[in-house]
Amino acid sequence: MNAQATGCWHCGEPLPANDVPHALVAGVKHPVCCHGCRAAAEWIDQLGLGDFYRLRTAASARAPDPEAAQRSAQAWQRPELARHVVRELPAGRREALLLIDGIRCSACVWLIERSLGTVAGIESVQVNASAQRARIVWNPESTALPTILQALARTGYSALPLDARALDDARRQESRVALKRLAVAGFGAMQAMMYASALYLGGDGRMDAATHALMRWFGLLVATPVVFYSAQPFFAGAWRALRTRTLGMDVPVAAAVALTYSASLFEAVRGGGEVYFDSVSMFVFFLLAGRYLEMRARHRAGNLADALARLTPAFADRYRSDGTLERVAAPELVCGDRVHIAEGMLVPADGTLETSFCQVDEALLSGESTPLHKHFGNALIGGSMVVDGPAIMRVTRVGADTALAGIAALVARAQSERPRLARAGERAAGVFVAGVLTLAAICAVGWSMVDPARAFPATLAVLVVSCPCAFALAVPAAITRALSVLAARGVFVVRTDAIENLALASHAVFDKTGTLTQASLDLAHIDATDGISALALAAALARGSRHPIAQALVRAAMNAPALTATEVRSVSGNGLEGCVDGRQLRLGRPAFALGTAHSDDADDAVILVDENGVIATFHLTERLRDGASEAITALCASGMHVEIVSGDAATKVSATATRLGLARWRARQSPADKLERLRELRSGGARVVAIGDGINDAPVLAGADVAIALASGTELAQAAGDVILDGNHLAALGDARAIACETMRVLRQNQHWAIAYNLLAIPLAALGFVPAWLAAAGMSASSLFVVLNSLRIGRSKPPATMVVPIATDLRTCP
Amino acid sequence: MNILVVMIPLSILLLVGAGIAFFWAVDHDQFDDMETPGLLPLLDNPDPPAADSPADEPPSDAPPQ
Repeated sequence: MNAQATGCWHCGEPLPANDVPHALVAGVKHPVCCHGCRAAAEWIDQLGLGDFYRLRTAASARAPDPEAAQRSAQAWQRPELARHVVRELPAGRREALLLIDGIRCSACVWLIERSLGTVAGIESVQVNASAQRARIVWNPESTALPTILQALARTGYSALPLDARALDDARRQESRVALKRLAVAGFGAMQAMMYASALYLGGDGRMDAATHALMRWFGLLVATPVVFYSAQPFFAGAWRALRTRTLGMDVPVAAAVALTYSASLFEAVRGGGEVYFDSVSMFVFFLLAGRYLEMRARHRAGNLADALARLTPAFADRYRSDGTLERVAAPELVCGDRVHIAEGMLVPADGTLETSFCQVDEALLSGESTPLHKHFGNALIGGSMVVDGPAIMRVTRVGADTALAGIAALVARAQSERPRLARAGERAAGVFVAGVLTLAAICAVGWSMVDPARAFPATLAVLVVSCPCAFALAVPAAITRALSVLAARGVFVVRTDAIENLALASHAVFDKTGTLTQASLDLAHIDATDGISALALAAALARGSRHPIAQALVRAAMNAPALTATEVRSVSGNGLEGCVDGRQLRLGRPAFALGTAHSDDADDAVILVDENGVIATFHLTERLRDGASEAITALCASGMHVEIVSGDAATKVSATATRLGLARWRARQSPADKLERLRELRSGGARVVAIGDGINDAPVLAGADVAIALASGTELAQAAGDVILDGNHLAALGDARAIACETMRVLRQNQHWAIAYNLLAIPLAALGFVPAWLAAAGMSASSLFVVLNSLRIGRSKPPATMVVPIATDLRTCP
Repeated sequence: MNILVVMIPLSILLLVGAGIAFFWAVDHDQFDDMETPGLLPLLDNPDPPAADSPADEPPSDAPPQ
């Protein structure tokens, strides 16, 4: 495929300009971006697994550097480290759970299973793509954990052993139990429905009394496990709610289930009247199905523990007293240790710099988009990345005292403090159940005074006719439909009350770096007499560099004449110099290019100079994320107040705000500042949607009424999100708001219908006018109406953007 | 209609059997990952490499189109 010529064969990233390495795969040379990718591609081919490239539906992650991977894998040899992550199994085997970065599609699972299958001593490999985990069992006599990690690294995946406690995966347990309950409810509902239809059809005397009784007893038999096993979460939830003196959604549901079941049980034992075992099983099944969908979305979003494990490096290179290095686990560090941090590595703990200078990328932690310059004695934050190293750091804070742990604690607190708005459905359902119970009581008292013999059947008729099926389904049916419609548009709703909050929200707070803008830059304008030729010269110099500014220049110069630079030299952190057409050129910050002792300015401008002076000045701006302006236009049009709250410098934030047409923005905000701003908005009565992607956004996300995290963002942000936005575009945000509003409309219609039906049916039942078959038909019809009405959600507008094209992504599917 | 007394318990027995089979499947990892295993057979390599000398294996598939 010709698209391959522009990107790495393995990971799809841009190729370096000079000395492109080539990987020999299946006898054909393919260009790759780095030696890690070359090694991975060739190794995959040698294993005979070259099919991977034909089968995958997304480009792989960039392969780790083989040498670095080997070094970190070796560290797991240390018994004090292995002890935490390895579990001993019977018969001398060992088991570990690995968190694997870079699983992009099913082909990755296939590749991992196959390539590990070639390692002697591995007994079983189970890869779960959605959880990005692999469970591996091996025989310690023939292989060891470092060998396994290295085998993974060779195929291009970095793996991180998780704490052995994670082996008893709580999430796995939860999803298994939920599935079992759902299956029991489904089986029970089907069977109960069969016996019930026999009762309905033969209800007018054509069925003899013995068969009638038989059907009722069989109904009881299949409904009992549904009520006592499947419906357990509702009873548990109702009990919890009652103990804290609140009325959640579980209380009316549990009340409905318990009442319908006990009334039917009573009738079955007494041998008269109607039984409603089918309704109660169906009801439980529908509700469980909705909860199951919700749980799946929640598991997809990941959790806080995973997020932190990925952020903090597992190792540190500590100096021994004699000056040599030893590799230790990051948790083993203590205050006062001196550690060595190589270029491109993460800082293992908080500390102070002991070398004279280095550049650190804190984008994930602070939102600052450009690397910061650090000098001797400056503070380094654990989890940030050293861009040009190596650096030596003295550790000052470890473990729970670090800034990163502080942010995580902030997230946890904001999440627990988040005020829970009672859902519209819950409030109404609570009132409804209270009303029905009162009516039933009045009915019982009334009839017992008039005609005690009819008191019981009439009271029961009230309870059953009002079977809150339609009512209790009104909310879940609409919400469940909205969940699936949104998922098809790449919006995954983790907590269902997010839909209601999204529809009612009045303010939207966006993060800038990584959310509205991307990591890459765009060329804004050129100050030069001949812009095109200046750009061609600059692009020739920049072609070999990975720096975002250089890449922006190369992209902008697509249509300019291609020139070749020679003797290109990169001066770390400053710029590039080289020779084009015999002219000696320098490209970089003014201070470097002009050779003057200029102070560091924050302006994103680079200049190009030759022997005769300045040729051109290139001004760069951050690149807006696809769909950012559409999303903001749509949100503003739907009546929301939109603002940007960013950790970045004021000039950059205001530039982005201007481009998007936003008047309100705040710059240089720490995570705590952002949270403060949110509280301020909320104390003014606003309902706030927060949209972010970084670690620094996580507390804000956790504290907002609706938190929307980007799937391309950090795990920590996703763990705090209520809604995960898939794909690289923000345009789905407008859709999500529209669908949320539509859902609320349909939900109200459903509730009004259910109330109207009940207002009509209950008095008639109370007066004893409703025969059983009519009650059953009315009940089914009203439930059907609710479900059909809910199916209208999302019909009016086709998806604006298609997501996840399976096996058709030609760019990455050679 | 007396046949119902036989047929319905029989169907319930079948149901219980199906339930037990489903519980067994859930407990044996069959439902933990619903996405990938279904695709894996499609990706099966017709020419599996030898486990011990992978480097000597000749390229097993045609160059991608």
